[in-house]
Formats: sequence, structure tokens, C-alpha cells
Amino acid sequence: MTDGSEGRLRLTVLGGYLGSGKTTWLRHQLHEGRFKDAHVIVNEAAETPVDDALLGQSSRLSVLAGGCVCCTAKADLILLLRQLCDERSSVAKDQPRLAQIVLETSGLADPGPIVEAIKSDPVLVHHILVSEIIVAVDALHALSQLKTESLGRSQIEIAGQLIVTKADVAEAGAVKTLLATLVNLNPGTILSGASKGVEVPLPEFAGVAPEILPDLSLQPARPPLTPTRLYLDESVDWTAFTVWLSALLHARGDDIVRVKGVVRTPAGRLLLQTVRKIVQSPEILPEQGDTHEDNMIVVIGRGYKPDQLKRSLKHFAGR
Amino acid sequence: MCSACGFPAAPGHWTEAGSPTAHDRLRAKFRRAQVLQNVLPAFGLKAFAGGEIPGIQISNLSGNETIVRDLDEVWALAEKLSGGPLDPLDPRIVGAE
Repeated sequence: MTDGSEGRLRLTVLGGYLGSGKTTWLRHQLHEGRFKDAHVIVNEAAETPVDDALLGQSSRLSVLAGGCVCCTAKADLILLLRQLCDERSSVAKDQPRLAQIVLETSGLADPGPIVEAIKSDPVLVHHILVSEIIVAVDALHALSQLKTESLGRSQIEIAGQLIVTKADVAEAGAVKTLLATLVNLNPGTILSGASKGVEVPLPEFAGVAPEILPDLSLQPARPPLTPTRLYLDESVDWTAFTVWLSALLHARGDDIVRVKGVVRTPAGRLLLQTVRKIVQSPEILPEQGDTHEDNMIVVIGRGYKPDQLKRSLKHFAGR
Repeated sequence: MCSACGFPAAPGHWTEAGSPTAHDRLRAKFRRAQVLQNVLPAFGLKAFAGGEIPGIQISNLSGNETIVRDLDEVWALAEKLSGGPLDPLDPRIVGAE
């Protein structure tokens, strides 16, 4: 029997919108031993990687930060994949060789162009088989995103498997409508539910009407989401930062799609993550590890200039 | 986060996560009021936090006073009192372009 890979490296692409729960899901899979010997590649659109701090359980990890692999950092991804193929080819056939790669894309990435780039690369096409495209879908925010963001739709349309995250905290009726909408967008897809990475059952949704999604090509294009890096220097303490961020999310939570970073506080290193208006309880990270990006916060959103964020934060801190 | 594969979450409201001891919490409470005071007057509001009140006291120019528990409530109240969300990127905060 053959698995169709013909000795090629299997590549799992893990995509999903900003804050949809990609890293949480992958982190739990690694903890459970799935993708045990895989090489994990994490892509972050901003130059400040955070997710690598969370994926310490992977045996091999590469970070591609500072650009999205479906566009600006595509060449870096191809280079890294070629390098992995080279390394694998240099291992003797009777030795254990790398068999799988997991690519966690940035939330701004469309997996389509990534898969196309791999298939059209003269080297990679012989060495890598895109074996699955898994896309995380946030049960709390996906419906509203799908109404306004064409990226969210492209991500769902290409998925072979959709993981509906946060399904346990979203309202049951809304989850059913979301599921019907997902099947409408991508009829062949495999659906599963997850809560903090752990598989959970999804509600029955037979007969539920899908949400009617507006034709986005008829609407004026929205400005693209861009990452801004904010450094919290000694003039900005944690308290001032939280006052500022809570106000910003209250007023502009629909445009500030994602905030993440590690902040040094009297309570230790706190991992802060937001998805639209929702702020996760900060996680307390260990003191060891890579700390050189501490206090660098990434804000991904639209409708403002990076400089305005900086001035506003300084004004709040008043120092 | 799952307790098996994740790191522990800091307890309480997320804005209070950076204060592990009672001393830190008290200091953060005063600092919070000070930071609010840097911002609210531009919108016709005032913030006060003293040892004798449990939360943050927000008042407007006509003397209405309300005590709120956390920052989420501060912004909801500010929105109600000033007729719209208090935008941190408002020209009154970041200056005119």
C-alpha cells in the first residue's frame, strides 16, 4: 500500500484568521503527541514572534517572522522548505528521516497561494506533498468576519478540515448558523469542534439556514490589516498600558483585530493576547527562554496610523 | 489555556494581572486613577480612587458620580456620559493631524 506521498515529505498547512486559535490547537496536538517528529514552521506577519514561546513541545521549530508567507515572505518560506528537503536528502535512507512538516501560517495568510507556490516550485514539487489543509474557525467571531472579510472566506474555502474553536463558549444557535454557513462555503470539508485544543462535539445543524453573506466585490475595499509594533519603554508601566488598551478595545475593537506580546510586570512575564474586544486571561510565562522581545507588543488592525497609537499610549501614561 | 499544555493564567480581571500582592494591587489602583485622570478631563469627566471607596469613582461636570468596579465599566460609563465611545485616538488625545 502507498499513502500517495511516494516518499515525499508530508506538509500540513494550519491556517485560520487572526486569533482563531491556531497556536492553541497546535500546542495541544503537540502535547498529545500528534506531529511528534514533525518540523514545525511558525509564520508571523509581525516581526515579533510570540507563538514560538508557546510551542516549546515541538522537537524542531523554525520561525518566519516579519512578513506573511503567502505574500511578502513567500520567498523565505520556499527557501526554508528547500533547506529542509536538502537536509533530509542528506540523511542516509536507513536512518530516520524527517517525514512531516507542520506550517502554522500567520492569521493574515491565505493558504491558497502558499500551496500554489509549493506546487509550482520545481524542487519542492518532487519533495513535498501538501497532505492536509486545516483551518481554525473562531466560533465567536467568524460569522461577523465572513460578512466583511474576503480573507476569512478564502481561508475556509480551501480547507480540507475546519476546526471550529471556542465552540463551547459561543451561543448554540450562532454555532449552528456558523456550521451551516461553513458547509455552504466549502461543502466537502470535514468539520470538528475544539475547546482549548481538545476535541469537543459540535451541535447538529441539519436544516439550519446558512447566513447570507454579502458580495464583497461590490463593496468598497477596506484598508488592509497591518501589524504595528509598540515598544513599552520604562515610561509605560503595565497599569497605564492596561488602561490604554482596554479603552482602545472598547472604542475600536472591531478594527483592532489582534494584540499580542509578552509584558514584564511585577507578577512576572505575562503573555497578553486579544481577539477583537476579548482579552484572554494573561498567561504567566517562565522567566527563562527567549526574552529579548519582551515588552514588544504587536497590534494588528486598520483605520489608524502607527504613530497615533504611540502618541496615545504616551498620553495615557502621562510620562 | 489547558492546564496540561499551557502556562497558568493570572487570576482576576486581566487588567489586574500584573499585581501579585495586596501592596501591588493598591499601588495599581492609585496609578489607574492617575492614568484615567490624564485622559478623562478632555472628555469632561473626572476619575478618583481613594482608600475609602472600593472601585473607581467617575464623575462628570454636572456632578453625577458613579462608582465602577473595573476598566470595562469605566469605558461603558464614559460612553454613556459623553454620548459616544471614548476613543484613545481622538484628536483631543493624540493631537490634530
